[in-house]
Amino acid sequence: MGDTVPHLSPGRASAPVRSPLRAGRPWLALQIVLGGSLLLLFLLPIYALFAWAGPTRILAAATNPAVGAAIWLTLFASGIAVLAAVVFAVPLGYLLARRRFRGRSVVESVVALPVVVPHLLVGLGLFFLVIPGSPLFRFTNAIGFPIYDTIWGVVLVMVFVSAPYTVLAADLAFRAIDPRVLEAARSLGAGPANAFLTVSFPLALRGIVAGLLLTWARAVSEIGGILILAYTVYPGGPYTGPVTSTLSVLVYNLFQSGDLGDAAATSSLFLLIAFAIFLVIRIGERSGWVPWRRGELLP
Amino acid sequence: MTAWEVAGLAARLESFALGPVDLTLRPGRAVALLGTSGAGKTTLLRTLAGFVPPSAGRIRRDGADITGSPPEARRLGYVPQGLGLLPHRTVERNVSYPLELRGDVEAVRHVRPLLERFGIAPLARRRPAQLSGGEAERVALARALAADPELVLWDEPWQGLDVAAQHDLGLVFTELREAAQVPVVVVTHDPALAFSVADQFLVLHQGRVRFWGAPAKLLAAPFDGFTARFVGYENVLEPAALAGGAPGSLTAWLRERAGPDGVAFGRPLLTPGEGAAGGWEAVVRAARPTPEGIAISARVDTLTLALRIPAPVTASIPAAGHRVRFDLDAADLRPLGLAARGGSPETGA
Repeated sequence: MGDTVPHLSPGRASAPVRSPLRAGRPWLALQIVLGGSLLLLFLLPIYALFAWAGPTRILAAATNPAVGAAIWLTLFASGIAVLAAVVFAVPLGYLLARRRFRGRSVVESVVALPVVVPHLLVGLGLFFLVIPGSPLFRFTNAIGFPIYDTIWGVVLVMVFVSAPYTVLAADLAFRAIDPRVLEAARSLGAGPANAFLTVSFPLALRGIVAGLLLTWARAVSEIGGILILAYTVYPGGPYTGPVTSTLSVLVYNLFQSGDLGDAAATSSLFLLIAFAIFLVIRIGERSGWVPWRRGELLP
Repeated sequence: MTAWEVAGLAARLESFALGPVDLTLRPGRAVALLGTSGAGKTTLLRTLAGFVPPSAGRIRRDGADITGSPPEARRLGYVPQGLGLLPHRTVERNVSYPLELRGDVEAVRHVRPLLERFGIAPLARRRPAQLSGGEAERVALARALAADPELVLWDEPWQGLDVAAQHDLGLVFTELREAAQVPVVVVTHDPALAFSVADQFLVLHQGRVRFWGAPAKLLAAPFDGFTARFVGYENVLEPAALAGGAPGSLTAWLRERAGPDGVAFGRPLLTPGEGAAGGWEAVVRAARPTPEGIAISARVDTLTLALRIPAPVTASIPAAGHRVRFDLDAADLRPLGLAARGGSPETGA
């Protein structure tokens, strides 16, 4: 092989051939400028938060029991909301993906509603639904799920605003399964339940988990409805910690009371936690703990 | 040794009606389901498999009525279009899937001989996405057999396979038929496959059975352009093509002998020798060598006909514009448009 190289005219042979599919430089520059501007919009406010807070204040917030209680409540409530999405939203997504029925588009619109309604309205709606003295108010108290200023109020708002993401993701995930794969499984001896457990569910799992992540992200960032239904959260139900509020409400309070430094520090702390969670997921993808490949779940 | 009886089976989809279809499926026999796109081949297969509820008729397995049984209770090896391999399972766990469903805890070990037999043991740990078309077909077939089926239903094998893989799979298929001793129903667009593996042809047209019988019968009496082309007639002339043509011309001669839907015939042989007398004269448009001689496309009147010279492959190929002569025996013509002459003919509506 080596012998033949000198026979080639070296200059031309080594000149790299430019792929005809590669975009021209001006086009690439445009993409970088436009996309980069958006990235800056994402990053600059975060930078401002961290810069305003400073490491000392962030450290102080991290060790402040009041902030700790708010973080714990937020993670706890959003965790319950994600569980609720698994139990209630996945079956609805499955139903929408698999069944054709009258009023289907109405159901789909109802599912999309919480995504577009301002969340203050969600809180108001729930407030009027379980207004003190109403039958539902008495009922929820009687069965041990009091709504006002409890973790259940927080969870209720969170599920309302965030479960649609899991419904939509599960719908898409189940719909993406080739029906012929299911038919093959059925003909090979799998009953409907078995076909769901051995084919539909494993194949849809990645999409469902992606939806649950969005649900979780939306739940922890909720504030509008919580301001109305559970501004302050008292211990009760599964929450046994001190009187507190969700992290979003805590930051809002700090800001309202002019405590800008602590507002920034608490926000920064929350950003760090969220970042850490996404980092763990990425590492999980890289090391193969998760049933999907890297880059399949999050863009 | 299971025999299947299909009697008066009919099904209705949104804008399509299938049937009534009558069929007897015997162990070790293979039926090729033929027909144009939209003729109802896949619908019939899916009705047999239990995915389309029949609107009338019965399906019996050894006399037992299973018309209302769910797919999982029918003991089928159903290979749908696209094969339906489970994308999240490896090859071996695809093949072992039917055994796992029956609670076999050592399913993967038990399917090992099957993997060996179909030549896919080296691929055991691969996922379906990592297989070639031919490999995937083998996996699907092995999996269908792992279910220990009483009937194999195969929708469009061969699709997208190269000629070598097709040939290869044809051999596997024949072996399967002999070994498994179950009836096989295969939907296909491929005449070579149909003729090589099927003992019987079922031709569907707009949801109805147009022919049911031995391939040789269809070859002897194709009844429309589709069946004539399918069984290998290379000259299929529709009535429109036969219109016109002066008295005494080949076109007029053919028109007199054609059926309502035209006429079909194989490639007539050229009369040898330069300036040979007799028969009909044609002008060569194109020619190509084949293992059977030289295939010629030639013009007579306004017709384009397929002709041939039974010459060795190395013979010189006639140039375009060259005049040639050929003979055509009226006994070799197959008039089209008559009722199918199979086991259960349906006189056309």
